[in-house]
Amino acid sequence: MAIIERPSTTAPAVLPTVPSAAFGALKRPVTVSSGWRSWLFTVDHKKLGIMYGAVAMFFFIVGGLEAVLIRLQLAAPDGKVLNADLYNQMFTMHATTMVFLFVMPMASAFANYFLPLQIGARDVAFPRINAFGFWAFLFGGIFINMSWFLGGAADGGWFMYAPNSGPIYSPSHGVDFWALGLQITGIASLTGAVNLIVTVLNMRAPGMSLMRMPIFTWMITVVQFLLLFAMPVITVALFLLMFQRNFDATFFDVAAGADPLLWQHLFWIFGHPEVYILILPSFGIISEVLPVFSRKPLFGYPFVVFSGAAIGFVGWGVWAHHMFASGLGPVSVAVFSVATMAIAVPTGVKVVNWTMTIWGGKLSFPVAMKFALGLVILFTIGGLSGVTHSVAPSDTQQTDTYYIVAHFHYVLFGGAIFGLFSGFYYWWPKVFGKMLSERLGNWNFWLMVIGMNMTFAPMHILGLQGQPRRMYVWTEARAGEGFFNLGFWNLVASIGSLILAVGVLFFLINIFVTARKGKQAPADPWDARSLEWMTSNPPKEHNFDSIPTVGHLDEFFHRKYSESESGQLTQVKSGEEVILDLEKNADAHIHMPSPSYWPIVLALSLPVIAFGLIYSIPVAMVGGAIALLGCYGWALEPSTATDDEIDPPSSGQGKEMVHVG
Amino acid sequence: MVSAGQMVNRLTPVLRRLKFLPLVGFVALAGCASNAPQDTWAPEGPNAQMIDDLQKPIFAVAGIVGLIVFGAIAFAMYKFRDRGQPIPEQTHGKPVLEITLTIIPALILTVIGVFTVRTVFDLAKTSDTEMVINVTGQQWWWEYDYPVQEELGITKPIITSGQLVFPVGTKVMLRQTSRDVIHSYWIPKLNGKRDAVPGRVHLNRLEADQPGIYAGQCTEFCGLSHANMRMEAVALSKEDFAKWVDQQLADYQAPAEGTLAKEGETVFLNQCVRCHQVNGLKRADGTPAIAAPDENVVSGAAPNLSKLMTRNTFAGAMFDLVTPECRADVWDASRETFGEKYLAGVSEECLNQTDLRSWLRNAPEMKPMYANPALLTSTGGKYRGMPYLALSENDIEKLVAYLLTLK
Amino acid sequence: MAETATHEHAAHHTSTGLSNNKLGMWLFLGSECLLFGGLISTYMLYRGRVGTGPTPSQVFDIPFTSVSSFVLLMSSLTMVLAVSAAHNKDDRATTLWLTITALLGATFVGGQVYEFTAMYNEGLGFSTSLFASSFYTLTGFHGVHVTVGIIMLMSLVGILNKSKVPGSRAETVEMIGLYWHFVDVVWIVIFTLIYLIPV
Repeated sequence: MAIIERPSTTAPAVLPTVPSAAFGALKRPVTVSSGWRSWLFTVDHKKLGIMYGAVAMFFFIVGGLEAVLIRLQLAAPDGKVLNADLYNQMFTMHATTMVFLFVMPMASAFANYFLPLQIGARDVAFPRINAFGFWAFLFGGIFINMSWFLGGAADGGWFMYAPNSGPIYSPSHGVDFWALGLQITGIASLTGAVNLIVTVLNMRAPGMSLMRMPIFTWMITVVQFLLLFAMPVITVALFLLMFQRNFDATFFDVAAGADPLLWQHLFWIFGHPEVYILILPSFGIISEVLPVFSRKPLFGYPFVVFSGAAIGFVGWGVWAHHMFASGLGPVSVAVFSVATMAIAVPTGVKVVNWTMTIWGGKLSFPVAMKFALGLVILFTIGGLSGVTHSVAPSDTQQTDTYYIVAHFHYVLFGGAIFGLFSGFYYWWPKVFGKMLSERLGNWNFWLMVIGMNMTFAPMHILGLQGQPRRMYVWTEARAGEGFFNLGFWNLVASIGSLILAVGVLFFLINIFVTARKGKQAPADPWDARSLEWMTSNPPKEHNFDSIPTVGHLDEFFHRKYSESESGQLTQVKSGEEVILDLEKNADAHIHMPSPSYWPIVLALSLPVIAFGLIYSIPVAMVGGAIALLGCYGWALEPSTATDDEIDPPSSGQGKEMVHVG
Repeated sequence: MVSAGQMVNRLTPVLRRLKFLPLVGFVALAGCASNAPQDTWAPEGPNAQMIDDLQKPIFAVAGIVGLIVFGAIAFAMYKFRDRGQPIPEQTHGKPVLEITLTIIPALILTVIGVFTVRTVFDLAKTSDTEMVINVTGQQWWWEYDYPVQEELGITKPIITSGQLVFPVGTKVMLRQTSRDVIHSYWIPKLNGKRDAVPGRVHLNRLEADQPGIYAGQCTEFCGLSHANMRMEAVALSKEDFAKWVDQQLADYQAPAEGTLAKEGETVFLNQCVRCHQVNGLKRADGTPAIAAPDENVVSGAAPNLSKLMTRNTFAGAMFDLVTPECRADVWDASRETFGEKYLAGVSEECLNQTDLRSWLRNAPEMKPMYANPALLTSTGGKYRGMPYLALSENDIEKLVAYLLTLK
Repeated sequence: MAETATHEHAAHHTSTGLSNNKLGMWLFLGSECLLFGGLISTYMLYRGRVGTGPTPSQVFDIPFTSVSSFVLLMSSLTMVLAVSAAHNKDDRATTLWLTITALLGATFVGGQVYEFTAMYNEGLGFSTSLFASSFYTLTGFHGVHVTVGIIMLMSLVGILNKSKVPGSRAETVEMIGLYWHFVDVVWIVIFTLIYLIPV
């Protein structure tokens, strides 16, 4: 049975566990249910999920404000809001923040919280590594952004092409902070990937075969494999860059004979799978949401699973489509062009399956469903514009123009972010026990839809009219005069970005209002289908009173409804009754991992080391010492708190709201 | 049996016709208007035309697929909304339908793929080259270097910047590279973009059907003034091009003694020649004045100013060297008169005094560049871009008079 | 419900039958393959680009490196013996073989330090050429991996000596063994590509 043990051994240091008696000096903190200690030292996947979400939301606001500044600068020709230097930092950090500090960790938030619940587990495989991952992400994110106050942020674009990222062309420490900060968040992603894959493979409830796993869990699993193999590639690239900048290595020094395309290959071998890392979690979320509000199972579940996996595989063979203009030669260009078209097929399969899922259903349209349908439509627009630049010759006209900016914002904003918002509305009652307001949610949704389309749709025109990206100003001289002049559409896009910002503000207001006086959520507010709903809202610390045995895909639904021969469905039990059944058979003894001091200590050593590498090596050595201390503390700490006997299942009530923003 | 190649040939006219299909929404409208100078849907040369023939049908296909998908979703949202109907049957999918709907897009993409691959190779062809120009990018301007090509009248190398001048109807091969970071050369109406990468030479085909000026812009982010790194490609008729070559190869004419321009030459020799070459310019002692930009700027190059007044732009084509009226006169000229007007160069009346003087007064204020000594520690004191020279108003007056003689 | 307090039981409860720790280690090593893949690719691209600095054939001392490579390979053998001793619950033999493995590893790292010093004295600094930077980075990363392995082995020996570790010991030894073998296998690839294949 998938009972969670107190963590015994762990991967990074791979040191053995020893009984507490031998090392009495090292004590494990006592489990507490509230107060700052309950967050700082927690190893509970749900608390970590909430913290991931809160921090990611904070960075979403930071990245969003950067975007608004960019749009204000470009609203009129020869903008004066930002100077060239600041603008270059702004677009670099906007992308870096949105990709690495918002979408990825927000997907981690969902994965952390729901993956164990969806497979009927009580925690992840390595709870302390999970906590370490969160703290490393947080410290890495803070570290990158500290560069704003220490001489300027990175200014080479998130793609950071060599040699423009070298010490000569980017003399501030911004790129150093960027490279080292991403190493730190990369460590977080890597540990998270190992952890979640092991959790999925090893800790499924009895009967939960792989093909009975909820689709969200499937997509997250594909993403973790992508992370597992993509992160080391960017790690190598970042090391080369760091050695070049801080230790005079020659990797991108053209005078020494270096090939600047090396960076591009390494970056995009990571960078293209990264695109799927960003989008697949949201695909997973809406593949949960659409069936629930269509009251039908996901159409072609195996096709969705396999197309997700296919995207995961083919995603490795298309990286050079980011480099069609960089002079690869016609053979490579042709091969990568065709491979890129091939990846459109499994992506198209997903759109077809979503459409067929709602086809013939009994549709209701709460905000979660609206965001999910918004994703299907907006992502399709982004996908189709993607097909136009999988055609390499056509891409040489489009790449590095606003057409590409339009494309990937439809895919990433209309796709990834709409999916995340769908998830917020769908799972909020699960996490916080309260329903987000539908009224405010509708404002949130419609303003975001209008704002998003007003911001990004005109960028198709701007790009096709030849406005390149990454320009701190555009000029009247190249703007044209007719209906398609750059001036009008730049202004429209800027106004759209403000509307979009107001839309997001409504979400924050919604969180706030819900926390103050939100409606208490019923146990099964949406008549949901999967395992995470077979427990209280919010779930108890140990998730399930007894681990359910799974007999079907959509297990929860099948416990509520029975199907007659003719396919007629009758409700046999309410969601509450199903949950009560599980509570009645509660396990007598449930071991949950104790909190730990060491994840945060170990994570804290990382920015110290990084600081030292930039400013002074002795500081790095102090950081190294902290890391070593952290590893030993980690390995030697007892598996439980001495005075903490087995917890009686606590009700999990009174969980604090995390305010963001 | 029809070979794949024949199939492609038969399908091409069909696809060409497809592009006249009414396109979707703004995409269609953007296609009809061709008013921005860098419009990517308004080819004026065979290479860009090739791309356009390929991309327009694909835009059409994408639009149609989009309409079908949105139509299906909109229909389903209306038809299957909750009207109190019973919970639908819990069907898990129809494999036949799934496979069909997988194969259809795969087939469409296969067709697109065949045409794409063909165009990729057509655009990479080098065997039909009729003229070579070396194009070198650096922060934040382009240098055009015409190697000796006797059959085109280029008997000595020509080095220029700001505007790429070439004859119409001639298959030009740009050999691109860079002296510092990666740049990208892009004249949308003539061809797609191609990166200029330091340490590599990339080939880029260029050909214009008609005389005229074609706007372009650096499209690989290249640092502080990336936004200001523009280019203009000037196509001249073959006869006019020959005249242009003669103009460029003409000997240096030193200003007459006692003129303001002559004093300007002295200022130039004291200040500007550290970086800027003027071919044929001699010092007071009669030795040739050779610029040494490699000692002063990171890229090791600065624009050659020998025939500055035959160009319409300066400072990486960021500023016009001529007043807006004179510029409009050239840009809007008819195809017949364009060459003549362009070859007339910059007269004193047409000179854009305001920008040129501001530039000489304080270049880094006009264009973001790395000229602050505090920022030059990582480059051993070398500048990126033109520094502030602390010229007096008097010197500027003289320099402008001198520069006007550089034709 | 069975209340399982020790780790070895947990291994039987996983869906795959593999213990979490072992599966996690395998995944981590899979990721490491890509890390070394990236570094090796960089080296292969740049190995011929020596500029004015020494060429590989001028600085490599193949007989010396072959000997130290052999030492590292032997450490894999002793690691196998340590794992098997741990499975037999033979504490003394486990400690002994782990110590020998660590010593062999340390010999290898010592050899690498000597090799680097010699190369540096022959004029191959870290920034001398692309070959130099990519060579030092690749072999350096490998050296760091071996060093981390040695630290883990020594820590394990220290802990084993101090206390009786129940149950999970064999698996811990086995996991460190997995890591150690991986580092060895990577070295075989690196040694072949760097030293044996001529530029």
